Amino acid sequence: MEFNQPSYSLPTSLPLQFPELIELENGIELYVLKDDNDDAVKLDIEWSAGSKYQSKNLIASFTNKLLLSGDDVMKASEIAEKLDFYGGYFQHEIDRDHAGIALFGLKENMSKIFEIFTQAFMNCTFPADQLEKERAVALSKFQIANKKVKHQCVKAFNQGVYGEKNPYGRAATEADFGRIEREDLLAFYKQFYLNGKPTLFLVGNVDDDFIRQLRDWSSLMVSKPVNYELEPLEQKTGHDHVIVPGAVQTAVRIGRLFIDKKHPDYFQVQLLNTLLGGYFGSRLMSNIREDKGYTYGIGSAITVMEDAACFFITTEVGSEVVKDAIQEVKNELSKLINIEIPEDELTVVKNYMAGEFLRNADGAIAQMENFKNIHFNQLPQSYYSDYLEAINTAQPSDLKKLAEKYFQFDDMLVVTAGA
Amino acid sequence: MIDFKTFQLDNGLKVIFHQDKNTPLAVVNLLYDVGAKDEDENRTGFAHLFEHLMFGGSKNIPNFDTPLQRAGGECNAFTSNDITNYYNVLPAENVEMAFWLESDRMNELAFTEKSLEVQRGVVIEEFKQRYLNQPYGDVWLQLRPLIYKKHPYQWATIGKSIEHIEEAKMEDVKSFFYKHYSPQNATLVVGGNLELEEVKKLSEKYFSPIPKREKYLRKIQPEPPQNEERRLTIERDVPSNALYMAFRMGGRLSYDHYYGDLTSDILAGNKSSRLYNELVVKTKLMSSVSAYITGGVEDGLFLISGHLNPEASFEQVERVIWDVLSDLMEKNIQPQELIKVKNKLKTRKVFGEKSLLNRVMNIAFYENLGQLDEINADLSKYDQIMAEDITQFAQRTFSRLNSSTLLIQTKK
Repeated sequence: MEFNQPSYSLPTSLPLQFPELIELENGIELYVLKDDNDDAVKLDIEWSAGSKYQSKNLIASFTNKLLLSGDDVMKASEIAEKLDFYGGYFQHEIDRDHAGIALFGLKENMSKIFEIFTQAFMNCTFPADQLEKERAVALSKFQIANKKVKHQCVKAFNQGVYGEKNPYGRAATEADFGRIEREDLLAFYKQFYLNGKPTLFLVGNVDDDFIRQLRDWSSLMVSKPVNYELEPLEQKTGHDHVIVPGAVQTAVRIGRLFIDKKHPDYFQVQLLNTLLGGYFGSRLMSNIREDKGYTYGIGSAITVMEDAACFFITTEVGSEVVKDAIQEVKNELSKLINIEIPEDELTVVKNYMAGEFLRNADGAIAQMENFKNIHFNQLPQSYYSDYLEAINTAQPSDLKKLAEKYFQFDDMLVVTAGA
Repeated sequence: MIDFKTFQLDNGLKVIFHQDKNTPLAVVNLLYDVGAKDEDENRTGFAHLFEHLMFGGSKNIPNFDTPLQRAGGECNAFTSNDITNYYNVLPAENVEMAFWLESDRMNELAFTEKSLEVQRGVVIEEFKQRYLNQPYGDVWLQLRPLIYKKHPYQWATIGKSIEHIEEAKMEDVKSFFYKHYSPQNATLVVGGNLELEEVKKLSEKYFSPIPKREKYLRKIQPEPPQNEERRLTIERDVPSNALYMAFRMGGRLSYDHYYGDLTSDILAGNKSSRLYNELVVKTKLMSSVSAYITGGVEDGLFLISGHLNPEASFEQVERVIWDVLSDLMEKNIQPQELIKVKNKLKTRKVFGEKSLLNRVMNIAFYENLGQLDEINADLSKYDQIMAEDITQFAQRTFSRLNSSTLLIQTKK
């Protein structure tokens, strides 16, 4: 049996949905995306309370983890018991910039779930025994992560790429776990949560009573904007190695400070990143995994945060082939700089990316994630259609020039962690 | 509620269509009824290695990924002890591309030496990355042979050892393909923004020319009941002591599966669960504890595992676990607690079914189990469970003679 390859077409526009903005009290914004396909409801509440705001390591993450740890009236176990009874889930969310809580539940229970959440959240006293429990839990996780070559590599890479003094480069040590005090958490909670200004993102099919409940809560918030002073960034180049005794693989990270999503080159540089290491058929995967068999996986990505962005290549390879693998990465970068991308390969990447836009916009929860990207990065509503347009019209000659500008191996920092 | 339509081709391939008008996407999922349990005990890891080779080109198409990516699609696959599952997610209007690709590799692989050589290397690195170079990474490599003495569940999908992967030969690859990758041994599920007639037409066009092959009949020796307490202590370079306790229970098709699932939530499903409260909150003997079932088709396992805090001893932790288990065996749980775990499960189910890919995979799993008609009955099965069912499940499952305990001790 043999058939001709079927024809195909590609989306020229995206089925984007934007949430409705409802202004609550104290300038607090609620974004609502109706989804009546089922009874699932997700409510994200996010504050500017990420780890860059802490003056002492670990304070932001411990505060976030212990937001529902109770007080004298309602203990942590009671809070958990009640939330569980209504089938509610919550997820702690924290990165360098933002922190918050995501609540999940069914439509009929959401009002109860939110009520339990607010009661716990507004009255949290960070009880000492809860702090001790969390200290043991987090320390154990930290020690396990520290045994992983990848984790060691990421830590050293972030220090080298953002600078040790920059909050994006700083990392906690084991000793930091012993230094966390209840007072630190209380102070952080007051300043960045209770007095901070949350933003709410709601997906699901809720009624007006629930919106009213959110409004009532928002009237209790102080909603002071946070002052934050930018710290300078300082990137190293060259090669750092972290010794991890006994490791049979070595983690490798290669990268540099980068442009953010508002930069006019961003879309096409993302195309270059995808072609290089952003999908299964990428050049790095094809060469280092599928041709050489050096690794189970290799990829590249661009991370964009509020005050910095970074491009990096990441992999774990057999310790005996580290040098060869880095040499191949070097070769792939110079190929990108010196040779125009063949039309056929470019088409594959463009089309793959168009499909990826569709996959990432599938369902209301995914649509809301796309909107959060626009919201937090202060991008125009046309961001995704501009993106698709820029990808579709990208030319090999322009891409070559961009590669020359952004993907020079000598501008990058190489960090390895292994035996 | 998941809707579907089924039909079968003359060569025995079962096809199921699940329509979803709310998505611009289509999913094409092919489940092959072959897993690590179908391997020869001297050539383990083969089903999984084979999954890698399925992307190394087929008779008429040198590369699987590129045409799919060119049509905006993405694919992946996974292997378990029971099944091997391949899926493609692409814009609905390009669904034919996935039919073309999947049918060509079901018809015949390219069987190139280069692909075998490279994928052997990739899988060996996967073995190192996931099982050797991670703290606690080799737990299942240790635990399986402790629990199973006869049944092929005694080895993990990655295989018993790197040597087995190194020794894989082309002739093994070919015979594995013709034995297991036949239309009679597969389930095709297509989901998304499509019409039934279109799916029928494409299925006929691309899959019906594939010849029927000899039907593989599985002959697996069942594992006899355990009747002895098994223990193993190993030393590893890990930061904290860890404990894994496994109990044999009924497989995916038995009611035990549902009782076990709820029981695992009662014990450690969340922050108000019994083991979490006793071990992490009250006694602070552990920094984490979890309980879950494996859901194996042929035989099930109930697992309790966790990491110990520095001052805690294994004896203390085991004593608390057995106390909590005894309590479950002696007293029926209160209605409030039963409602709680059922409510949690209901939320989990609704969120789990939001994704088209999840729904499509679920259809394939249920069909492969021969239980497609039951796919929407799960919630009511859980709903009907009573406190006595949990007590009785606990009584027949949580005995020392039915337990295998693996202790991982930190190297001094």
